[in-house]
Amino acid sequence: MSEEYVIQMKEITKVYPNGVIANQGVNLDVKRGEIHALMGENGAGKSTLMKMLFGLEQPTTGQILVNGEEVNLTSPTVAISHGIGMVHQHFMLVPNLTVAENIVLGMTPTKSGIFMDYEKAVSLTEEYSKKFNLIVDANAKVKDIPVGMKQKVEILKALVRGAKILILDEPTAVLTTQETVELFKELKNLKNQGYTLIFISHKLNEIMEITDRMTILRGGKSQGVYNTKDVTPQEISRLMVGRDVILKVEKDKAKPTDEVLRVRDVEFVNDWGKKMLDKVSFSVRKGEILGIAGVEGNGQKELVDILFGFNTANAGTVEVNGVNIKGLNQKQLRDLNISLVPEDRMIYGIAGAASIEENVISDRCEKPEYNKGPIFNMNAIHETSDQLIKDYTVLCKSRDQKVGMLSGGNIQKVVVAREFSNNPKLIIADQPTRGIDVGATEFIRKKLVELSRSGIAVLLVSADLNEVMELSDSLIVMHGGQIAAYFEDTSKLTDEEMGRYMLGIDKQSPEQIKEVCHE
Amino acid sequence: MNKKRSTMFSVAKGALAIFVSLLVAAVLVFVSAAGDTVADKLAETGIALKSMLVSPLFKADGSFNFKGLCDVLALMIPIMFTGVGTCIMFSANQFNLGSEGGIMLGAFVTACVAVYAPIKGVLLPIVAILAGGIATAIVLYIPATLKAHFGVSEMVNSLMLNSIIQYTIMFLLNMYLADTTKGQVQMLPIQENAALPQIINNGSKFHVGFIIAIVVVALAWIFMYRTKWGYSIRMIGINQDFSKYSGLNVVKIIILAQVLGGFIAGIGGGAEMLGRYTAYNWKTLPGYGWTGVTVAILAGNNPLFVPFAAFFISYLNKGCTLMATYTSIPSQLIDIIQAVLFILFAADKFLSRYKQKLVVKSAEEEAAIKRQTELEFRGGEK
Repeated sequence: MSEEYVIQMKEITKVYPNGVIANQGVNLDVKRGEIHALMGENGAGKSTLMKMLFGLEQPTTGQILVNGEEVNLTSPTVAISHGIGMVHQHFMLVPNLTVAENIVLGMTPTKSGIFMDYEKAVSLTEEYSKKFNLIVDANAKVKDIPVGMKQKVEILKALVRGAKILILDEPTAVLTTQETVELFKELKNLKNQGYTLIFISHKLNEIMEITDRMTILRGGKSQGVYNTKDVTPQEISRLMVGRDVILKVEKDKAKPTDEVLRVRDVEFVNDWGKKMLDKVSFSVRKGEILGIAGVEGNGQKELVDILFGFNTANAGTVEVNGVNIKGLNQKQLRDLNISLVPEDRMIYGIAGAASIEENVISDRCEKPEYNKGPIFNMNAIHETSDQLIKDYTVLCKSRDQKVGMLSGGNIQKVVVAREFSNNPKLIIADQPTRGIDVGATEFIRKKLVELSRSGIAVLLVSADLNEVMELSDSLIVMHGGQIAAYFEDTSKLTDEEMGRYMLGIDKQSPEQIKEVCHE
Repeated sequence: MNKKRSTMFSVAKGALAIFVSLLVAAVLVFVSAAGDTVADKLAETGIALKSMLVSPLFKADGSFNFKGLCDVLALMIPIMFTGVGTCIMFSANQFNLGSEGGIMLGAFVTACVAVYAPIKGVLLPIVAILAGGIATAIVLYIPATLKAHFGVSEMVNSLMLNSIIQYTIMFLLNMYLADTTKGQVQMLPIQENAALPQIINNGSKFHVGFIIAIVVVALAWIFMYRTKWGYSIRMIGINQDFSKYSGLNVVKIIILAQVLGGFIAGIGGGAEMLGRYTAYNWKTLPGYGWTGVTVAILAGNNPLFVPFAAFFISYLNKGCTLMATYTSIPSQLIDIIQAVLFILFAADKFLSRYKQKLVVKSAEEEAAIKRQTELEFRGGEK
């Protein structure tokens, strides 16, 4: 056992209770004092691997060694006792407590064993804050501090608990450029003090800048370990994605006709008083795919919620084929032939413990063709489900198989089979191919193009730049709750150009943006 | 995991749960058995277990006990109704425990109609039982609508409602409806034409309510698995967000499930009243609702399995009564057996490690099949 390696994960396989194989024979060796990148696309198995290292999940087979000793990480407490700390992508902080209180949570210093020693908590926070040059305001409430500082609090939390190995799960996803620069300085500082960092990301430039070595995952399997200085971004991208070319979708030029979805001056303020949508206006016409690109959290989710009746706009109007949808419930919206491929398929898209058949009829179970008087017309239902399974190539044993037992790609095929087959006039596809296999992705993308060309209006919301640029006929970019840009033709767009609008560096003039209303 | 493996797992889990609970029962019997020496205790335990497990259907000489069978079948009647009602409510993920008060209310209202309504012939029991069902449905609408519209816990409300029902009935019975010629508190005797006929008249009280219960089981199964309403109830129970997104009327269906569950418990109370008794005399909650919860859980919320679960529980119940007659072991042991069963069936973690192994095996097999089909698919393309 080499002393050089502080973490060794050997032949790790993880099968989730729903049968999804998230990791298959993965090896991960992390050297002491390095910044080690764990790379891979969404759904490649990075998070699962790290959850096992932090004791949140247990491997099905395989062993984990910390400092050369085999350990059984049954809970985060055990992981922390071995010096492993994790900074989650979504902060695990109590908003109503101060920074100092959050840092000592669970290990609160006390006076005479009963009362919390707040001064001590503050001094502890300040001591660590100075030592690692992670500047935080110990007395501020977490809900009042900026995102960048919250992240520092998370890092401090782990350090105070004695972590020597830090797992950082996409730490830059929520940060501004300046904050990222600052974070990298701090991480290098930690490295110089002998800490080991595991850095999860799929942003190439960051990886190239900060890490020493990297392990690349694809489809739950390891694609090898590389020294960062020895590989080019192109090689990494090939290893991550598994093909040199981006998935190309064949499509002829759109011939949009009548307006189907008309969104005008929509505003939305969330429960915490933050304005998530600010005067958003656009139209989607028959026969076209309008893409919405943007870094997640820039109002896309709120917009989709309003379009499908899960929320109501504070101002503005939304019309579908001339009908104002304000206050309509999902049933009424579906009666207007609106379909939604939801972002979170496990929560909204399916009932996991129900069969494929029961999942594909959920939106149409009350229609006369599926009922004979009060009783279901089982023949019609069987026929529809078998037809959909065939048309959408759902890989399953029979229509009676439970949907929760299917793979991610097949689950999504069940969702789109239902949403695409109910004579939609408007399809809202929210992250339609997130985290699913290449085959299913290709299938769903082709289907979307096919449907749009048959005269359906498609609104595609996607954080996947390839997808939104390849698939959309025209697209808008959202930033900070506003439309930052509108591109009538996506074919000449470059990634760099998109990036500038997505990150808010550039913004088009109101006149240019207004083009998307087609007035 | 494939269906066959999944079914086999459920059956094995159920059998093991029953075995474990009987094992616990055996240990408790041994502990409480009379006798000074281990040998004495063992002998007593043997008698007790034999009375509990064998005696309900077999006489001491080993011959078949037909009266015993009738007794067990008669005991099944009320808990089949509450079991089915609970299945429907639980399927919608509504932990409404109102079938306990519901069956009491059903019996009471049915009795009132059967005593006072001037209706001739077979129409009287039909009207009386339906009245019991409707009254219970109306009362259970209260926790249902509070849950559906305001998110108030239906469990707490239905639980409290049981007490309200019980004491309201007691008040009405004591103040206005008591038969003053009798030494105990009971209602006037029901009219003769209201009584449900006995299927076999051997004192077992094995009455026509049994047939009604079986019909209800069949109808409930059709309702749950062959109509849009039952389908909606099950989908809401599995995933309410999904149901709302799909356009199902979640509020309406949540209310429907509980009102219907209440209706079935109510007619159960009515049938039991007219089949077993000549005058209403329940002064406390009868316990059939609680047993109905156990039955529903044993049946996995599928009405079709309710008769089997009800038979099992009734058999044990009868067995425990016999055991208490022949030995010094109290019949309350049935409650302990039920409790252990309940815990093992309700516990998701029970055998979850073994289930995980099965899942892993299935997933690996599926992955292999998938690779195979993908290879074929690719091959076909070229």
